[in-house]
This record gives sequence, structure tokens and C-alpha cells, in this order.
Amino acid sequence: MSQIQLTVNGTSHTVQLPEGRYMLLDVLRDRLELTGAKFGCGAGKCGACTVILDGEAVTSCTVPAAKADGKDIITIEGISSKEGLHPIQQAFLDHGAVQCGYCTPGFIMRLYGLLEKKPVPDEQELHAELEKNLCRCTGYESILDAARTVIADNQND
Amino acid sequence: MFVPLSLYIKEDRMEKGHVGAPWQRVDAFAKVTGSALYAADIKLPRMLHAAVLRSGKAHARILKIDTSEAEQMSGVRKIVTGSDPRLLFGTCLVDQPPIAVEKTRHPGEAVAVAIADTPGHATAAIKKINVDYEELPFVLDPRKAAAPDAVQIHEKNGHYKSLEYPIHPVPGTNIFHHYKLRNKNVDAAFSAADVVIEEEFEFPLSSHAAIEPHAAICRFDLEGNIELWASNQAPFVIRDVLSKMFDISTTRIRVHIPYLGGGFGGKSDVSVEPLVAYAASFVPGHPVKLVLSRKEVFTSSLLGRGMSGRMKIGATREGMLAALESEMYFADGAYGDTSWPVDTVAGHNCSGPYHFPAAKVDVYGVYTNSPPVGAYRGYGHPEGEFMVNRMLDILAHRLEIPVTEIMRKNLLKEDKTNLLGQTMYDYHGDLEGCLDSVIRALAEEKDKSEDDTYLYGTGIACLMKSPKMAANASSGCHLSMDGSGNVNISLSGVEMGQGCHTVFLQMAAEALQIPASRIRVAWDIDTQHSPWDWQTVASMQTYRGGKAIIDACQKAIAQLKENAAAVLECDPEEVTYDGHSCFHPRKGDRKLSVASLARGYSYKNGLTVGKVVETVGTFRVPGVVDPDPETGMGNAAGSWTFGCQGARIRIHKESGQIEILHFATALDPGRVINPQTARGQVTGGVVQGLGATLMEKIEFKDDGQIRNINFGPYKMPRLSHMPHKFTVDFLETPNTSGPWGAKPLGEHPIVTVAPAVLNAIRDATGADFFQLPVTSQDIKNALGKE
Repeated sequence: MSQIQLTVNGTSHTVQLPEGRYMLLDVLRDRLELTGAKFGCGAGKCGACTVILDGEAVTSCTVPAAKADGKDIITIEGISSKEGLHPIQQAFLDHGAVQCGYCTPGFIMRLYGLLEKKPVPDEQELHAELEKNLCRCTGYESILDAARTVIADNQND
Repeated sequence: MFVPLSLYIKEDRMEKGHVGAPWQRVDAFAKVTGSALYAADIKLPRMLHAAVLRSGKAHARILKIDTSEAEQMSGVRKIVTGSDPRLLFGTCLVDQPPIAVEKTRHPGEAVAVAIADTPGHATAAIKKINVDYEELPFVLDPRKAAAPDAVQIHEKNGHYKSLEYPIHPVPGTNIFHHYKLRNKNVDAAFSAADVVIEEEFEFPLSSHAAIEPHAAICRFDLEGNIELWASNQAPFVIRDVLSKMFDISTTRIRVHIPYLGGGFGGKSDVSVEPLVAYAASFVPGHPVKLVLSRKEVFTSSLLGRGMSGRMKIGATREGMLAALESEMYFADGAYGDTSWPVDTVAGHNCSGPYHFPAAKVDVYGVYTNSPPVGAYRGYGHPEGEFMVNRMLDILAHRLEIPVTEIMRKNLLKEDKTNLLGQTMYDYHGDLEGCLDSVIRALAEEKDKSEDDTYLYGTGIACLMKSPKMAANASSGCHLSMDGSGNVNISLSGVEMGQGCHTVFLQMAAEALQIPASRIRVAWDIDTQHSPWDWQTVASMQTYRGGKAIIDACQKAIAQLKENAAAVLECDPEEVTYDGHSCFHPRKGDRKLSVASLARGYSYKNGLTVGKVVETVGTFRVPGVVDPDPETGMGNAAGSWTFGCQGARIRIHKESGQIEILHFATALDPGRVINPQTARGQVTGGVVQGLGATLMEKIEFKDDGQIRNINFGPYKMPRLSHMPHKFTVDFLETPNTSGPWGAKPLGEHPIVTVAPAVLNAIRDATGADFFQLPVTSQDIKNALGKE
């Protein structure tokens, strides 16, 4: 049995790993009880499990837990504060970019990963990122509207 | 992280008007913070984990199962296999074992379950179970499966326990349901027609592909009571099914439904729950959890659609429809309980919103060796309305009359009858207005037909959908008021993304005339405490739930008035209620606050008069019956929502790629309770429909196993597939029976996406397509031929 140490939303954790297939998503959901990241496909195709790993948006269902050793992770649970929701969360709420909500944390973290690096991406960059996640409910219109609102606000800041 | 309410709720959006206002979703905060709980998020004390061995065989006899090695593995608590062939489940057609016994009828069928301390231990254990099979011939094509010489998948077809009035099996064959509709003399009508056209169609099997995989946790306590947490749209149906399966009272079964990560019909009735309950019965005291892998969602939950159809229509030279003949074979998979009503509905709605004076329809629900088919958004309507809208387009080209003119001549409107023989009235909706709206929206860009790179085309299709439901389908609403006048309401409409909780809140606020901040809608369902509701299907929660809310609120107001009357010493009828207080208009200025009346009125010395304000509202759609077994007709639909959809597309001449430039939808849902959530239903439904139209299809390997078992190989719409432009228009013809005039709209935007796009492809290329999906390769082939 191996052991990893990782920082999640600013808190350091040491986690014992079982034998066999064990992913970062399993660590987050089962060990740390951070259930905001969701299991959707196990293959990195739907993005419901998206989190930030050392500044990059990754599908945590395809990151072996051992590879998260020493890494800094941010999840959906780590981006709001007492001062309020993160602007991306607020924009999703305002635009009704939420239906069943199962893909929502993944979309928000995908966008968070992009905008932390580049607060005002162009449309092509935005589309390329959002293309990585699946939503079966909204038809994407409201998600795109929410993202554009955040970007417009970033531009005005 | 606690975020104060005032920091994210925009008060102006929650308080200015109730019904008809674009309120923020009440579930959005939980969902954007990742704190909303879904079935797979739940952990319980002493919980064990299940993994399921699937047969991998399309059709085979099970000769021997050896579990000895698996039983010895570390972390394994129990290996469960099937043993009792009499143990079957179903709601109306009891034909399915929770786990295979003697025989496996599709490759995704459960053969054994490993129960272990962790999912990893359970998964390792099932790999060590050895099963000997004797393979049998299998069949996937529903027409072949329906033939008299086809291999029989259920030897007992026709002898299972089932509802006799609406289900019509053909014993000795794989046809477990034959719905026939005979409306007037169709042969005479065809003879008299000037033009008759006939075509064959394919609408393949597809996956609902909700992003949340199916999950369930079940615990038997030591007295044999069952508690279940499930990702499911039908908590009370599960309760009834488990009650019959285990032969215990429903009162001893408690079903919890947390937030549901998308359903689209794929989580309605029952899916994984009987299997998980069966496994859990072997380890009483331990909750057993199963979360399907994505592969298992494809192979071992429910699929949708799967129709091979033929349609023949007759018309006059002027384009008046004269007769309809339709035959539909559904590849309903290994078990029929969840699909037979879809087959019936597909049949009597295959006319679309057009009036045919005579019709003959035959629909066959056929057992095949694939996963069982169930409800899928649109519930049989997309299949038939795909055919009829393509047929009208072909007829228009044949007669050289604009298709919109043919549609207009034949629309189901006031005084016309549908296939069931039901008469339409003006309050059923403004179908022609919907058609006009879509024509107007698409007219803006309709000038160009071709340039150097692209071919351009426009297509239109009209739609109707009626809810299919159990004739006694009802909703309930529990209302309780606390000592401050704040209100809890609880309904059993499952919040699966459609926004029913937000709409419930708006309607309760409207009915009670109080601010939304004083009302809380229960977010989860618990069959021990929540009111009975048939199930969350058929786009009925706004309609049925809304009426139950009105009933509960009216009873609450009546109780407040009665309490006030006792204090004011007058008749309750003389009391006025204004949301804040109760008073007698002619008895001066004495106003009794709602808070002071909510638990009865207490005088200074504590003496209390009146009753506690706790009420139950219910509503059943009145007068619904199952279709007559001989004619297939009758009052089987409780209401209709009409609409029209149109697509403006362009096709890349070299690659054949289809782009949706503009997709317009106009619906008449009576009254829109929340414009924001209503628009979201339409944009989502349209894009889901584009998936079926352009890319989605379950494919089979030679051995009958499904080939495309994950996202990626199974293509579905991403952001780049969204139309460049959406038009969403709601016409609001008040529905006399609905709450504030509202009627269903959730499923409707998916119903005619495919024919609208295929008609546009015909317009752009001159090629008629009759199968789905239509891919860029299909287009290239068609262009190459010309």
C-alpha cells in the first residue's frame, strides 16, 4: 500500500492508497468526502470530474491517485468564500446555466482553469475549453452566456 | 463554505410577481457549489459495495456458475446469483428477473453480484466467477424478431402476470404487445385518394445519456423492512414493484430520492433498483451500494427508441390528407415492462398534429436480445412524428405545393378529431400560430440556396405531444405552516433538472400571495413522508403538481379564515385573506396576522381556538382511460401541447458536414410559469434532438454486444453542435384545466427536431433521408450520387 500527500483547497492531506485502480476522483470523493466532482464516464470524455491540478484543469477520473502526490488541487468546494460565490458560480446561477446540476461543478472548474490563466480569452479559446465537457440538459446556450458574462466582467475590471 | 443568502439571491428576481417571472432556480446554489447531493454521493454506516458480472452473451442458457474462488477473496462478503425463476418484477408486465436465472437474454444482463467492503474488492471478485453457457441464436432486428420462425426469447410470452386491458401479447412469438388502431375505413379512403405515398423509416436505439450514471443503495433491516436511496424518477413505482417482488407491504418500504442528475426517461419506472435490493436481501443490516459504470449505463440500464417503421399516406390533389396507414416495430429489448406503453403512444400519436379522416395503425413491441427499452424524452412521439413530417414534405414535393400550405390545411385544430377520436377545442392551443411563428423566424435568412462552399436549406415540422400516464395518475402536495407563518411544501416531483422545484415555489407563492422567502420546497423525496405521486414523467409536474399546490393552498387559506372567524365571531366566508392577515371588511380595523392564526389562535391566557394549518392537496388528470382493445381509440390523452419547429441549415459541399444555422421552436404551453427555465427546456431538448438526428446510435458487434459503450465512441452533442442561433417562442393560449393555464412543455422540444432537419437536408440537397442519424458521410454519399 502506498501513501500520497496532496493539498486540496489549501489543506494538506495524507492518503493511503489501496491496490489496484484508484484515481484522484476516488481520493476526493471517497477519502476526503468532497463529492462536488462527479463520476460520469471514467474516461475523461464528459468532464463532470474536472478539478484544477497545479493550475491546470484535469479530468480527475483519468488521473491515477499516485500521480497526485505532492500536487495542489482545487475543487468546486474551494472557490467560493464568505464574501460570496465565485463570479463563475454566480454567473451560472444568474443565467440558469444549471439544470440537473451534475455536470455543473465540472463546467465551472473547466472555466475556472481557463480564466485563472487567461481572464479574457477569445471566443475560440473559450469554445475549445467548453467543448471538453458534456451537458445533456441545457443545450449549452446558458452555459456559454454565463461564461461570456464572466469574461466581459473580467475585461471591464 | 457558508455563503450568506443575501450575497447570491437577487431579491428583485424572486419577489416581483410569481407566476410568469424568470425566477432564479431554487436548486442552483446547491448545484453551483457542488453541495447538492446525488445518490452516488451518499455514504451510510456499515455500507458495502456491489459489482455486477454481466453475461456478455446476447442469448444463452446458463449451465453452471462457479463462485467458489470469488467467495474466498479478501474483502468479499457475499456472492449472489439467481436461483428462483419465479422471482420476477414489473409494473404492468411482470416479465423480468432481477438477476438472470437459467437464461440470459441480453449481454448486459446481471448473472452474479459480488458484495464487498469496497468497490475495488467487489470488482476484483466478479472477475473470478466462472460461468458455463450454452449459446442460443439471438436476434436484434425487430422485424426479424417478430417473424413466426424467430428464436423465442421468452417461452412464457403471453403467460406473464400483466394488465389485460391495455397489453396485447401474441403468445408463441416475440411480440409481447400489439397495439392496433382502427379509425374508420382506411381502405376506402386510400381508394378515393388522388395520391398515395409509402416509405420505410428507421429510428435507431439510443442512450438517454444523462451525465449521472444510475445508482442505488439498499438496506434490509433485521425485520425485513427495506430502505432504498436511488437515482430514479419514480419512487412510488419502485416501492410498489419491490413490494410485489418481495411480497411485503409497501408501508415497510421506504424510498429516498435525492437530487437526480438527469433522467430523460432512462431513470423512470425501475432499472437497477430490483437488482440492488435482491443483492441487499442477502446481507441484512448492511446497505449495499451500486453505481453503474458508463459502460453499464449503455449495456445494463434502459435504452430508448429503436423503431423500424412503414408509413403510407393518401391525399387529394389539393393536399388534403385522406388516410394514414402506419406499421411500427420496436426493438424493445429483453424485457417489455417499460416499453409497451411507449409503443401504444407511438401508435396513436404517429399522425402528428395533423387530421387524418381515416387511419389504421399497428405497433409491435418485440422482444430482442438487447437491453430493455424504456421511456425516452418524447415517449414514442418522436418516432411517429418523424415519419409523418417527412411524409408531408415528400407529399409537398410530389404535389408541388409548399409544405407549409399542406400543413396549414390539415392542422389539428378546433373541431377536428385526432386518431383517438378526441375532439380539439380552441383552448388546446394555437398550432397555426406556432407554425406562423417559425415561418417568420426563419424567413429572415431564407434567401440563399447555394454559394461556392455550402448548400443551404430550410425545413419545418409541426408537433404535438400528449402525456401518457396511468389513468389514475395523480400528484399531491403537503403544506404545513409554522408559528411564524412560514410555509413548508412537499411534493414528490423529482427535481432532475427540469426546474420543477422552482416552479412549485412560484406557484405556491402566487396561490398564498406571500413572498417566496417565506416558503421552502422540500428538495428530496421520501415515500414515508412525501405525498403520493404517480411518477415524474410525461412533463406533468408543473401541470399536475401545480394543481395539487393550488388545492393545498386553498385549503390552508380556508383554515386560516376559519380560525379567524372563530376570533372575529363571524362566518369564515365573511373573512378576507390578503397574504399578511385575515380580517372582516366590515368589522373595523382588527387584522389577525397569518402567524397568529397558523397554529390556531391563542388568546393571552393560552386558550387556543381553531385548527393547525396543515393541508394536503391532490390532483388527478380527470377522465383518462386506456385505449379500447378493439379500436385502439378512446380518451387516452389528458391534454395536448402543440408546437412547430424549423431548421435553417448549411451543408459543406466537400465534407458533407451539416451546420445548424438557426433552429426555431414555437410551443403553446398554455402559460409559461418561468420563462428562464422554460427556455432552458427548449434549448436542451433541441440539442438532444440534434444528437439523435446527426450522430447518436447504439451500434452492435457481430456477437450482439454493444460496440459504442462510452462517450466518445457514442457521439453526442457538444458545444460546437449547438445551433448558431436559437429562436424560442411561447404562445400562451390558456389551458382551462391547468394551473394558471399552464400545460406540459418539458419533452416537447425534442419531438420534431429530426424531421425539421431532414426536411432541410432535402431542401438543400434534393436527397430524401428516412433513417437516423444522418451523418456527413451519408450526405457525401448522397451528393456523390447526383
